[in-house]
Amino acid sequence: MFKMSNEIETSLLIIVLDVNPVQRIIKQETRILTQCLDSTIVFANAHLMQSSNNQLAVIACHSDGAKFLYPCEKPVEIRQIDGQYEKFTMVERTVRQQLQQVINEISLDKPLNGESLISGALTMALCYVARLEREKIAGEKIYSRILVITASNDSATQYMNYMNIFFTAQKMGIILDVCSLDQELTLLQQGCDITGGNYLKVPQLSGLLQYLLWIFLPDPNVRSKLVLPPPVKVDYRAACFCHQELIDIGYVCSICLSIFCKFSPICTTCHTVFKMPGPIPIKMKKKKKTIDIVH
Amino acid sequence: MADEEEEKEEAIKEDDHGLLEASVADIIHNAKRKRQMEKKVGARLGMMRHLYIILDASESMSIQDLKPTRFLCSLKLLEDFIEEFFYQNPISQLGVIITRNKRAEKVSELAGNSKKHVKEMQNMQQIAPTGEPSLQNSIELALKSLRLLPSHASKEILIIVGALTTCDPGDINETIQNMKTDSVRCSVIGLAAELYICKRMATATGGEHGVALDDKHYKEQLNAHIDPPPAATRLDAALVKMGFPHHALHSSANDSTMAVCIHAENSDESVKLLSTGYLCPQCLSKHCELPVECRACGLTLVSAPHLARSYHYLFPVEPFKEVSYSGTPSTCYGCQKILSQKDKKVYTCNKCNQTFCLDCEIFIHESLHTCPGCATNQDTYQRSTDRI
Ligand SMILES: [Zn+2]
Ligand SMILES: [Zn+2]
Ligand SMILES: [Zn+2]
Ligand SMILES: [Zn+2]
Ligand SMILES: [Zn+2]
Ligand SMILES: [Zn+2]
Repeated sequence: MFKMSNEIETSLLIIVLDVNPVQRIIKQETRILTQCLDSTIVFANAHLMQSSNNQLAVIACHSDGAKFLYPCEKPVEIRQIDGQYEKFTMVERTVRQQLQQVINEISLDKPLNGESLISGALTMALCYVARLEREKIAGEKIYSRILVITASNDSATQYMNYMNIFFTAQKMGIILDVCSLDQELTLLQQGCDITGGNYLKVPQLSGLLQYLLWIFLPDPNVRSKLVLPPPVKVDYRAACFCHQELIDIGYVCSICLSIFCKFSPICTTCHTVFKMPGPIPIKMKKKKKTIDIVH
Repeated sequence: MADEEEEKEEAIKEDDHGLLEASVADIIHNAKRKRQMEKKVGARLGMMRHLYIILDASESMSIQDLKPTRFLCSLKLLEDFIEEFFYQNPISQLGVIITRNKRAEKVSELAGNSKKHVKEMQNMQQIAPTGEPSLQNSIELALKSLRLLPSHASKEILIIVGALTTCDPGDINETIQNMKTDSVRCSVIGLAAELYICKRMATATGGEHGVALDDKHYKEQLNAHIDPPPAATRLDAALVKMGFPHHALHSSANDSTMAVCIHAENSDESVKLLSTGYLCPQCLSKHCELPVECRACGLTLVSAPHLARSYHYLFPVEPFKEVSYSGTPSTCYGCQKILSQKDKKVYTCNKCNQTFCLDCEIFIHESLHTCPGCATNQDTYQRSTDRI
């Protein structure tokens, strides 16, 4: 069954770089964005250096948009410096030039917002992978992974988008890696867990490049052989639709599967009126917070 | 992946055959688009599904118009269908009944675990289709279990029939009436020709009815049953109490409760000792996988992502507007492909006004369920909160 001959293996790395200027650590120290960019470029080139078949894409995102920095329709012109490193130079120049443009284009009419649209950048990444899968030649196998580098928080307002992305990535066999520069990201952690990727909150920003090379550069199929940080305990509790609070026990609408922390006679999502609960006794543990059943 | 390649090769080969395949492809495409247009935001759907598949295993299923035979082709397609069904309907249940020699046999009981059903499908490859089917016996057998379900459960029967006759002990009209009384939605996929009685059953119970033209069309007809059906008007709604367990990853040293997880379904490994697992938040018993009904206290245990897998049915991406390619150079907002004259039609999202190629339009509506244009726009990225 296996056609071993003329089989090409491509490893595609897509980096989603959060360049939101109002990320906490960047506001404190603008130099950090440059430092992150430098590390990201070295990391990206390290990936390309591993095999001539390896491919790369870089997407920048902020609070009101996302854009491909690389590959780019109109690549920067470079004089032949050295045949071998031509590609690396082109990656570096293209990424820097395009990023400058992205920053320049950030609209100052809208208020700057700390919420980066990482989920939006991820949807573009998935469309891009789907296209490469469609366009690949017979016998080519593409291993795709996406690495998110961010200092933002992952907000519950993108919950539904994130979940759709995680499940699509899981189905397509795309791994999601997340490198957080500032805070623990519980939502993106779930994405790593669902897709089999690595999650790391870097302990020290000055060591960013080392962390990238150590944890995120190895191909997923060799990672199991490496000594990596132990998996984190992922919190899969649900957030109720009414208060966005994490709950252990909740009430789920049988029509639309909305989750509520209390019984209410009507579903606020689909406007269904519920049959009142029958005489089924609801057992309550003493220690548990009392949940009132009827208002 | 290998499967996909084979499929592609098949598609290319079959295109040479010409018109028939082309028109089947058209039918499939139109059906997909129609289904997409019908998806409505905030529609009432029956999400807690209980589906019995009734598979014809009579003589007529050994006919080879589907390869290798109708029966084996059905088993293979059903295997994929079952996997996809549980992926998209994580808190639903499914059971399988076959009919041959005028009798009905329950192959697998209503249950929420795909592994066991898929195994049964594989075992059934040994069965030789014989005799005549009995639709009435099969439906009555399915009704026996469906009748016991709570009133908020969505109850469905899907019949796959190759025979042109059914051998029934009594009046099938009574059985149709029984299905109506119990709000069971009955759909039929015919492999040979349209049967009058099947059409009656489907129409009377609000189900769908179709005849498969070839294996691709057959697969497509099955796929139509992956999406939850509109909630029957008589379907009661309920708020169902559920638990969202913590992942008990490493139990502490003094925690001597090496939990016992009892799985009724896999008798070969019915008792497992677990150091990790999920704790029922109501009675603290441990389970090895989700979703599951707590064996100790009966609470349905799920993880939030299980439910989230279904949210795209409730908040679908609205259909894009189809427009002719204008000729001005541009790129697809999703995959970054440069749009050219070859793209006769391009697609625009009404909400964010971004333009996409045909392939992305399909990918966004069928897989991703999120519009990249909307998701990268401060004003449109939020999906749910405006409706909650
Ligand atoms: Zn609440
Ligand atoms: Zn509801
Ligand atoms: Zn178990
Ligand atoms: Zn329990
Ligand atoms: Zn596209
Ligand atoms: Zn849109």
